[in-house]
Amino acid sequence: MPLLKIDDNKFEVENGKTVLEVALENNIEIPHYCYHPALEIAGSCRMCLIEVEGMPKLQVSCNTFIGEVPPDRKIGGKYDMVVSTQNELVSKERKNILEFLLLNHPLDCPVCDQAGECDLQDYSFKYGNAHSRFDEDKRVRPNEYLGSQVAINHNRCILCSRCTRFTREVSGTSELFVEQRGYNSKIAIMEDNPLDNLLAGNVTDICPVGALLSTDYIHKNRIWNLKKQTSVCQDCSVGCNIDVFSKKDQIIRLTPRENHKVNGYFMCDIGRYGFHKYENIERITSPLQKSNDAYSEISWDSAIQQIVNELETIGDKFCAIASPYHTNETNYMLGRLFHGLMGTFPSIKDKEITYPSGFRISGDRSPNKRGMNDLCPQIVKSLPSEIKKQNILGIYILDNGIGAELDDNWKKILKDMAFVVVQSYQMTPLAKSADIILPGLAPFEREGTITNDKGHVQWLRPSLQNQGDGRPDWEILNIIDKMENRYVDLNDLMKGLGQQFPTYSDISFFKLGDRGISLSERVKA
Amino acid sequence: MSEFKPILTEHIKDENCHSLSFYQNTGGYTALKQVLQMKPEDVIEEVKSSNLRGRGGAGFSAGLKWTFIPKDTAKPKYLINNADESEPGTFKDRLLINKAPHQMLEGMIIASYAINCNTAFIYIRGEFYKEYQQLNKTITEAYEANLLGEGILGSNYNLDVVIHRGAGAYICGEETGLIESLEGKRGWPRLKPPFPAIEGYLHCPTIVNNVETLSCIPHIINRGAEWFKSIGPEKGPGPRLFCVSGRVNNPGVFEEAMGVSLEDLIFKRAGGIPDGKKLKAVFPGGSSSAILTADEAMDVKMDFDDLVAKKSMLGSAGVIVMDETVDMIQACLNIARFYAHESCGQCTPCREGTVWLVKILQRLVAGEGKDTDIDMLLEITDNIGGLIDFSKGSFGKTICPFGEAVAWPVRSFVEKFETEFRSCIQEEKVFA
Repeated sequence: MPLLKIDDNKFEVENGKTVLEVALENNIEIPHYCYHPALEIAGSCRMCLIEVEGMPKLQVSCNTFIGEVPPDRKIGGKYDMVVSTQNELVSKERKNILEFLLLNHPLDCPVCDQAGECDLQDYSFKYGNAHSRFDEDKRVRPNEYLGSQVAINHNRCILCSRCTRFTREVSGTSELFVEQRGYNSKIAIMEDNPLDNLLAGNVTDICPVGALLSTDYIHKNRIWNLKKQTSVCQDCSVGCNIDVFSKKDQIIRLTPRENHKVNGYFMCDIGRYGFHKYENIERITSPLQKSNDAYSEISWDSAIQQIVNELETIGDKFCAIASPYHTNETNYMLGRLFHGLMGTFPSIKDKEITYPSGFRISGDRSPNKRGMNDLCPQIVKSLPSEIKKQNILGIYILDNGIGAELDDNWKKILKDMAFVVVQSYQMTPLAKSADIILPGLAPFEREGTITNDKGHVQWLRPSLQNQGDGRPDWEILNIIDKMENRYVDLNDLMKGLGQQFPTYSDISFFKLGDRGISLSERVKA
Repeated sequence: MSEFKPILTEHIKDENCHSLSFYQNTGGYTALKQVLQMKPEDVIEEVKSSNLRGRGGAGFSAGLKWTFIPKDTAKPKYLINNADESEPGTFKDRLLINKAPHQMLEGMIIASYAINCNTAFIYIRGEFYKEYQQLNKTITEAYEANLLGEGILGSNYNLDVVIHRGAGAYICGEETGLIESLEGKRGWPRLKPPFPAIEGYLHCPTIVNNVETLSCIPHIINRGAEWFKSIGPEKGPGPRLFCVSGRVNNPGVFEEAMGVSLEDLIFKRAGGIPDGKKLKAVFPGGSSSAILTADEAMDVKMDFDDLVAKKSMLGSAGVIVMDETVDMIQACLNIARFYAHESCGQCTPCREGTVWLVKILQRLVAGEGKDTDIDMLLEITDNIGGLIDFSKGSFGKTICPFGEAVAWPVRSFVEKFETEFRSCIQEEKVFA
């Protein structure tokens, strides 16, 4: 393996890696703009220049590949490459490139959404000049819309071409391109082909400056006021890794988080803007009981006691509905409590989309069907007919949540039931058919694990606080259960779950971490 | 100098010199016949040993370039004839296409044979419409005479030639920008490595040669590498077409041996400077080369090495002559404006820096110069073209040499005529 020296650090690296890759992996900062790990190398911003011993001119580190050299050409008898990222020449070059980039830049950080997470701002502060020597008129262009959700501020653009490469290489839709030439170059679209693909939002993330703006986020906030929580998207069964940015228990934006086993670097706009659907919904904040077609608040104790009583009265004639929208833990608890007849409502199917880069939006728009099926093996497909056959009198339902519509057949079944319990976070049509409604948590409040359609188990972390008297869904089922069966907490539950389902054994939040665990890989190992 | 007999332009004054019959009657395509009996490696070796260096601007050894084509690849190989002649002050390729197209085509066929390529391209400058029509005729003639197509002259070698017209961008004369453009993309030069000989057109091994370079090939085959090396300096020998323009009595293309003195070119071949004016400065190799002052110009030989020693370059051999009436700041602005207009906009320094130069020069011309402007101009050229250390021999800070192409001339103007630039600032101060 080639031996590389970056400043005073030595690295044994794989053949064919670039200096920039090695530096990034080892937390050595080489400032860069046009380089993005998911995109082809452009080498045009010239920001990542480094000095390589034995090469007459400065090299761009994003395109400097490391390879084994013959013994007689090793530097200092042992190094295959010796690189300086901090010396005087390199520092001077960085200053110059930053000066060029800022010539026509409006320097409007105080009103720019990118401020605080802007590479241009950070590098200028760290490596640039404090003063501009440019006394001429700046190039000024009006802002434009590139698509329904993306606007561009041309004056801030540094033409790194990440966005154009993204639409060419990742989404394969090629809406963006560079128009004009030289000084007049600018990012543009054809009038009849706006940037409206389902991955469009990603260009606002990969833009290293404040040029590409999400119209959903523009001028809403300053980044340092937001709380950031790593989590997982719940809008399809891929389970893209995300960061949830919130303020005062309100989600402001979602951004994708890198995970090569799941989503790479990106997420789709269905998930990105999906959080809006939980705004302005009719939340259920305390247990409710139906009497005379109206609901009245009751205490948790009273609600639980009624359910326990009915369970004893009805006995075997009780069935349960699991939900692919709920966590593994909740579904497991449901299966444990109701080991008799069990089923699930049909989940929402949509078009499956796979992009040229391999990025996928699953046709199954529920986050955890795989986990539900793994942990509730007793689920039957033909639940309505079984209900009739077995003369079922009571039903316990985990509500799928927003968007789930019941067909007439199910409406009739529920109407005929003697006792219906629905665990939900909002007043869905389904919840309105219940005798007792138990307030669970909304998707961004939940904690637990979910399994994506490829069998990758991930840690769903709560991004928002519980609202009202709502309780974690697994906990509600835990309370209904007999005292001696109860779990102490989620970790205890996961242990119990693992004992019953060996494929899920030995999974803990600690082990899942930010990247999750692939079940299939565990089987192989 | 009178001993030199034109080689490439020997027949250009003759009527019908562009036709196939004329070319064949004057010994044309005999080299091709000979080559088809040779092994491709031997052809490359012959050209390599002739020390033929590229006539497009960079002056890289043509034969050496051909050897970079990988032997063990199943990919098709391509030859591209770079006829995108757009360097200001350069108009030699146009002459060769108009007057001796078959000479160039023969060179192309030989080169294609040598690198084992079956499809060759001519990338011709979009503005060359007449030349494009001429080439169409030439290629039709060649197909009819079985000089192109399948089984050329009874051999089992096949070659097709495709003409592609550029759309008017200077940068598409840079070989990787040209390849991108030929692929139908934006003419943005590529990062190197990989070089085109390894990964060029459609990611296949590709050789890009200039019109004049290719035109030399048949003569090297016919008369041998030793003969070629005997013309001019051994390290960069051969005939060369010099385009002399600007303030001269008799501008035009003059074929001379490499190493002819610039003085002879200007004062003997091009008839000297009109109205008895004095020489002030010269671009020796197109507008991308650093200018020479009159003193330097009188003491320089037009070959690769002598001009590099004078911190300039032979480039495309476009000699632009300026006499004492020329305002150097205006001239400098003119050059800078050309490069600002033609910068592809890919690399930061070139995109932003070229226009900065123009804006400062415009201020100077308008009489609004500042004390700091001279230093600023020098520093910006440094930052675009990177003239940090001449002794190291390489300068670029951008993907392609365009950055240097603007930095060199502008810097030379400011350095060599600094007093003129300064007086422009000071004069204004008096009025202010």
